[in-house]
Amino acid sequence: MVRKERKKREPRKVRIGVFVCQCGSNISSVIDVEDLTTYAKTLPNVVHAENMNYPCSRQGQEEIKDAIKKKNLTRVVVAGCSPRLYEPTFQRCVSQADLNPWLFEMANIREFSSWCHPSTPKEATEKAKETVRMAVAKAKLLEPLQPIELPMTKKVMIIGGGIAGINAALDLADMGYKVYVVEKTESIGGYMALLDKTFPTLDCSICIEGPKMVDVGRHPNIEILSFADILKVEGYVGNFKVKIRKNPRYVIAKNCTGCGECRDACPIEYPNPSDMNMGVRKAISVPFDQAVPLIYTINRDYCIECYKCVDACGAREAINFDQKPEEIEVNVGAIVVSVGYDMYNPEDMENYGYGKYSNVFTALELERLLLAAGPTGGKVIRASDGQKPHSVAFIQCVGSRDVNKYEYCSGFCCMYTLKHAVMLKEKYKDAIQIYVLYTDMRSGFKGYEEFFNRAQKAGINFVRVKLENRRVTEDPETKNLTVYGETEDGKPVEVEADMVVLANAAIPRNTALGLAEMLGIPVGKDGFFKECQPKIRPTDTEIPGIFLAGACGGLKDIPYSVSQGSAAAAQAASVLGRESWAVEPIVARVNEDLCSGCRVCESVCGYHAINVEKMGDKELAKVAEGLCRGCGICSSACPMDAISMPNYTDTQVVAQVRAVLGRGEKS
Amino acid sequence: MPLKKLKTDKADALTLEWVLHVKNYRLTLDKNHCVGCQICTLACPKEAIKLEKQPKTDGEKAKKAKVDMDLAKCNFCGICDVLCPYGAMKVTVNGKHALSVVEKESFPQLIRDIQADASKLPRGVECREICPLDLIKVTWQTADGKPVEDIDLLTDEERKGLKVKIDIEKDRCPCCRICEFKCPDGVLQVRKFINGKILIHPEKCPKGCTDCLDVCPIPGALYLSDDAKKVYPNEVFCVYCGACKAVCPVDDALELKRTSITHASLRSGAWNKALERLTSPVEVTKELKAKGSQRARDSVEKRLGWKAM
Repeated sequence: MVRKERKKREPRKVRIGVFVCQCGSNISSVIDVEDLTTYAKTLPNVVHAENMNYPCSRQGQEEIKDAIKKKNLTRVVVAGCSPRLYEPTFQRCVSQADLNPWLFEMANIREFSSWCHPSTPKEATEKAKETVRMAVAKAKLLEPLQPIELPMTKKVMIIGGGIAGINAALDLADMGYKVYVVEKTESIGGYMALLDKTFPTLDCSICIEGPKMVDVGRHPNIEILSFADILKVEGYVGNFKVKIRKNPRYVIAKNCTGCGECRDACPIEYPNPSDMNMGVRKAISVPFDQAVPLIYTINRDYCIECYKCVDACGAREAINFDQKPEEIEVNVGAIVVSVGYDMYNPEDMENYGYGKYSNVFTALELERLLLAAGPTGGKVIRASDGQKPHSVAFIQCVGSRDVNKYEYCSGFCCMYTLKHAVMLKEKYKDAIQIYVLYTDMRSGFKGYEEFFNRAQKAGINFVRVKLENRRVTEDPETKNLTVYGETEDGKPVEVEADMVVLANAAIPRNTALGLAEMLGIPVGKDGFFKECQPKIRPTDTEIPGIFLAGACGGLKDIPYSVSQGSAAAAQAASVLGRESWAVEPIVARVNEDLCSGCRVCESVCGYHAINVEKMGDKELAKVAEGLCRGCGICSSACPMDAISMPNYTDTQVVAQVRAVLGRGEKS
Repeated sequence: MPLKKLKTDKADALTLEWVLHVKNYRLTLDKNHCVGCQICTLACPKEAIKLEKQPKTDGEKAKKAKVDMDLAKCNFCGICDVLCPYGAMKVTVNGKHALSVVEKESFPQLIRDIQADASKLPRGVECREICPLDLIKVTWQTADGKPVEDIDLLTDEERKGLKVKIDIEKDRCPCCRICEFKCPDGVLQVRKFINGKILIHPEKCPKGCTDCLDVCPIPGALYLSDDAKKVYPNEVFCVYCGACKAVCPVDDALELKRTSITHASLRSGAWNKALERLTSPVEVTKELKAKGSQRARDSVEKRLGWKAM
């Protein structure tokens, strides 16, 4: 952190200039700006006051700069709109006239007066006068500040190697930044690597994602830390320290050639989560053939330690049963969070019979049955008898759009159901009857509505049913199913099917809350990470330097996730590209003589920005300036009055209060 | 359909099951064949099998220990199936008996050396009840191929030209050698596949306790002395399965040591570990030395932190 020396010595007498904005008619139609300007001139230390139409315009700014120079102003107050909008503009303006930008103060007479009191102009003008009076009182006491410059580590971490993370990683690596991709599972790829086809083009999913995964694997700027957990995140933009545990695979990565001879020798099988536990994998194996990195892993929960794999590996000596978890620390300047989502297990919604009736499936299970590399070799067969179904009923919104479960729409279920329906219908033609029981068909992006039309033309039966009163029953003999529902106007619907496929809700990762806690980023009420502003800052979080991509910030389909990956990459690059990161100098200041090291500040700070540390023989609160957001909560909580916020000091605030109460300056 | 993991406990069988969409793994313990011995408990690489002593009712015989299997730990490897001396464990995949550890040569099969020479069987000899587990079936056929129902009813003339066949259910045979002794010389020859030593210290036995004898599946492997009413072992018939040890109420009263297990020649870490639990680290090191597996020996010694040999 570098504080630049003050350039200029302050003149002794404070000379304040007040500029009243007319804001077209936004302010002037209610407030008597002439009266306000005249009033401002009467305030203590005010040596100049004028009103103008748009101070924020280039011409307005020039006039302010001229006035600063001609009248030798040492403080500037603009009475206009919200500082949220134009404070940075005016700070730049005054600094161009060689005035420290933090010697500028804004009085909001638009939102606080003209807009909210349009029918009482006289009172509104009086209120505006009080607002200006407060601003002038504070301005007198403002102190010049210097921005805090934080050094920038030109490295970035992507948490989660699904399709969003992959795109963010590749973009950033191509820009020349060193990228760490931290992936919890054995391979990057995420859900997309498990899909058979993608809508609406029916492209083979792994055929389009696989090359990107390979690119990530061999990019010289990318390091994949797979089968790894994030343990701790410390620091702030430009200077994050992330502690990671690399879990043991019991296979030495650099020696493993990915040949698979160990897998062939292994006698033990266990249910493969990548196959939705419908198929099996060996105790030493990869989750799927296209895994990146292609390193085998021994699952010690199932391994019987016969060491056949050791024999099979032979001279390559890649297997090491003594491998231990390894903790590493990585420094990065920015973080992209792209941890994706989980799938809701609908077993607790008993009316659908999932888990109870063997021929009720989730959509992802059907996806694995359709996949040629899946557990059945691409055969869609029933679990009860291994026979191909003659009729399939798809039920939409299982858990989604349900105020008792997940109120939100999962977003991509309508489209993947259309995909499944079309794939089955186009493959089996008249040999299969397909019913889609939906609440609303949502096909709102490029090519999606057209795909819906294709499904309708293919002879798929679409039946609109309400969310309520749905029920699946099974014939205990044939294991065939009957789906009951109701139309919007209450008419009963009954569909018989050999197989039922549920579009179960997608839900936040079960690890999301813990990660949010570590990163200090907020989580919305639906459990997904909260973006800074949902419309115009969709990939920013509230924490500078931490960005969101993909479904972890709310459910998204593949094209949307890909775009977000690239968007987050661009955002991260705009941070990483700087030589240093300037922080608003309004950060907590600790008076070390007063601090008792009581840790109250530590407990109230929501940003982990203030911590009590041992300094010499005393324990004192220390502020991490990169993390401090200047909220002031520590300052108000401190029982010793040891913490202050620059330009929001007690003296300044009291001066404002006295001003508004008409008490004049404190003697 | 989600993966189903099931455990079913019925009067005659305890079953663990993984029901996957395309595969069904099942481990069945046949309670009628199980004698409550220690072998599977010790052999299981996942420590998924536990023995539970059964409470004893006054005046009644001791009950054999009950085998319980942990669904969360079992991986259906089938090592219990391979090693069960009584053939009480069975692993099936999709209904078929499947031992992938044996197929993949990652675990050796037991060698049950049972030689039957039917030609040495005297004609018409009474052969019933030579096996305490009823695993031997002797069938006679007349010269013209008709099965003989009851050999005692045949005339001497009919007995001429009789043909004989001896069928033994080897998978369930603990190789106690009782048949060898009961049968006329040279007809049956049996070698034990578990060798060891059993010792009972009568002075440590609670007064009047015959729990070990109550549960011993091999008649004559343990016997009650006529005078002091104490139980003594007979090493000739003992198969060292440990059913007795599992129910013995006192520490040290019954010493059971297994020293070797006859098995197919194979290098397997899983076998070494099973053998170590069934016998002792010393015995494993001996076997490894005999096999010339220096690397495996080193690893055992490193793990135990002492030089076994």
